[in-house]
Amino acid sequence: MTNILLGYQPLFDLFLLHLGMAYSQWLVLRAGVFSLATAGLAAVGAYTGGILVVSLGFPAPVALLLAGLAGGIVALGLSIPLARLRGVYQAIATVAFIQIVLSLNIYASGLTGGPQGLNGIPKTVGTVTLLIAGILTVYLMYTITNSRLGRAFDAIRQNEAVAASLGVSIVRHQTLAFIISGALAGVYGALEAFHSYALAPSQFGFTFLISILAYVVLGGRNTIIGPIVGTAILLLLPEIARPLAEARMLVYGLLLILVINYLPHGIADTLIERARARRLSARLAKSDSVATTATRN
Amino acid sequence: MLLQQLLNGLVVGGVYALFAVGFNLIFGIQRFLNLAHGAVFMTGAFVAYYTVEAGGPLILGFLAAIIISGLLSVLIEIVCFRRLRKSGDAEFGAILSSMGASLVIMTVWQWISKTQVVRFPFDTVPVVIFRFWGLRVSLLQVIMMVAAVVIVMIMAWFLYRTSFGRQVRAVTDNEKAATLVGVNPNRTYSLTYFISGALAGAAGVLVGLAFNNINYMMGEPYLLFGFAIIILGGLGSIPGALLASLIFGMGQTLAIAYLPSGLTTAFIFSAMFLILLVKPTGLMGREEAGILRGRR
Amino acid sequence: MSLTLQNVSKRFGGVVASDSVNITVPKGKITGLIGPNGAGKTTIVNMITGMLAVSDGQISVGGRDITHASADEICRARLARTFQNIRILPDNSVLENILIGFHRHEKCSTLAAILGLPSARRESEKIGKMAEELLQRFGMSALADFPAGGLSYGHQRKLEMMRALASEPEFMLLDEPIAGMNDVESDSLAELFQELASTGMGILLIEHNIRFVSKLCEYIYVLDGGRLIAEGAPTVVLRDPEVMAAYIGGEHA
Repeated sequence: MTNILLGYQPLFDLFLLHLGMAYSQWLVLRAGVFSLATAGLAAVGAYTGGILVVSLGFPAPVALLLAGLAGGIVALGLSIPLARLRGVYQAIATVAFIQIVLSLNIYASGLTGGPQGLNGIPKTVGTVTLLIAGILTVYLMYTITNSRLGRAFDAIRQNEAVAASLGVSIVRHQTLAFIISGALAGVYGALEAFHSYALAPSQFGFTFLISILAYVVLGGRNTIIGPIVGTAILLLLPEIARPLAEARMLVYGLLLILVINYLPHGIADTLIERARARRLSARLAKSDSVATTATRN
Repeated sequence: MLLQQLLNGLVVGGVYALFAVGFNLIFGIQRFLNLAHGAVFMTGAFVAYYTVEAGGPLILGFLAAIIISGLLSVLIEIVCFRRLRKSGDAEFGAILSSMGASLVIMTVWQWISKTQVVRFPFDTVPVVIFRFWGLRVSLLQVIMMVAAVVIVMIMAWFLYRTSFGRQVRAVTDNEKAATLVGVNPNRTYSLTYFISGALAGAAGVLVGLAFNNINYMMGEPYLLFGFAIIILGGLGSIPGALLASLIFGMGQTLAIAYLPSGLTTAFIFSAMFLILLVKPTGLMGREEAGILRGRR
Repeated sequence: MSLTLQNVSKRFGGVVASDSVNITVPKGKITGLIGPNGAGKTTIVNMITGMLAVSDGQISVGGRDITHASADEICRARLARTFQNIRILPDNSVLENILIGFHRHEKCSTLAAILGLPSARRESEKIGKMAEELLQRFGMSALADFPAGGLSYGHQRKLEMMRALASEPEFMLLDEPIAGMNDVESDSLAELFQELASTGMGILLIEHNIRFVSKLCEYIYVLDGGRLIAEGAPTVVLRDPEVMAAYIGGEHA
């Protein structure tokens, strides 16, 4: 029995790592920022952490913090141009950013090891660390979204004009969401570095970007459970069916098309919404307060 | 030497133009970023290659590529975009949906090509060099330039001089109003997607011939360059895309020639970033890239 | 102390949407703004709230110039508005929609908010209670957890109102607040407006329902084609031939 469980440990580790990245993506989307920069910011954090430990001999925990800081600072820098853009333009700009990070990474091969990547990173992060990180992350996402920040994010995402008329500063809040997302990506990038012995630039390219987006879109962009469900399903699928593993990108592609068209809120979000609606209708049918006609838009 | 590079860049730019204009056609109509455009482009290259490999003449391969790419693009519209037209989250959805389509198409070609790089047989286009004014132009480059110009002109004639073209522009401006005067938006969209795909397919064949490096990932860099071009030219503007493609083609060729290798991409995208900051509407765009709400 | 518009004009290129409009909205009273469709009433509200730039003229509150103030400066100047085409946040519940209205009052530090520290949580509880009070006042307590996107039209309008009230404004700009409501609902809103005015709030009421307006407002302005064509007490203004001509086709019920 323990052998089976232990056999799944690497998968669980992967799940925890990718979950953190998924939350980084999830947070910016919740604030209405159409950014896809998580992959690039994770690369920044991963390489910062890796280089600090390998070339400069920093202890891992310090390197971890500095990696998160690096992610946050780069995000802060990016947010300045990003604040003046909207919608698809933000998306394009962040994709350009990922590409720039990739190219610079390969070019600065003296520092980063170029296309071969960085090797020999001591493995200091195991399942326990990742689990603690995961719990902390979920806790933070919970507190943020239930605070005045989360409320502001929700308003900005759904209607900027309304948010502004209520005194919400759009620039400040979107920048804040982006910085937190960047720090989160940076930390998890470093966690990945300290977990996998080696880094390669290709790890943080388009396959990664698509995977993260798929986790969030499949699971749900508006509930905290969303990324958990999305990441779990997409990581488990190839395990359940071997052929799916070989056609991984094909499956992701099909899922993206299907989910966006038929279940746009994501699996977890849709289920939660439906459960909530059923519960509320039942409650209302019983009470005889205000007569309402609930119309599902 | 500089003049030679500029000439090379111009030819490459012409092919980029086919790609970028097709991309912009869709964005102009629906504000959808069709990320599957690169995959359609790649499909054109593969179709032409396999036609030629099966013994067909290049011209047949070219035609097959254009038609199949066009049809593929229409299929993408129906499967990925049609349902989204009415949704509130359409732009975000379109990006993800087309991303998905791109993954599917790429994987299919990966399987068909067995992840190998394929190349046109050596003298598919005879190697003939013309010299004038100290410059060298190959037959292939002439073909590329001519093909690009002819195709763009046909498309321009179609869009601006035929009644169907007028319908396309009507639907672009206001779908509901166009319906009221009897325009069928679905047919119009399908036709636009066909043209867009055909353009991409043509570009794919030409690039396949020029660089002879046909593989299932070849669309990706072009998609990225396509972004840069349409930002430069202005999202939604066809003339802008044309102009920007030529500038981009020349700029890229010069960058490759004169900048340390490896920095070219970083340079290109940093430039694009700058444009997004300074003048997000590009050279000729009519869009507002920036703050939607705000004082007007 | 009042909200004043002096010679306010708005031009979009060659089109004059508002032409030298002079309006005063005193505190403690309900002022009406009526006019046929397209007269420019919402344009006026958009200019007051900073969503549209003013081409000419001055807007001030209690002597303070807010002509070029940003949207959140306007909010701090204690002005709130409702929207003609309802703009609630459909993804959030009714309660959450109201909570965002209290944004101006939330002062806890960003760090406290991120980490969920007790200071942030206490503040959230406080505004939660204030939101529940509003819900009770409007009779919608049972709907607190209801997703706002699924509400009936009348309830959505009330939600907008609750959200606007949450910021504790001194002036409220109501853009067609009773459109789509039945008589019972609009009557209870009329009572609410009178109650608010009696506590010192200045209300600018844009409405098509002439009976509603004449019942509630002491003073009304009539706008047509961007220009003020009449102003005064309802009984006087509504008998003005120019006003009747502007409403060609009879009264709007």
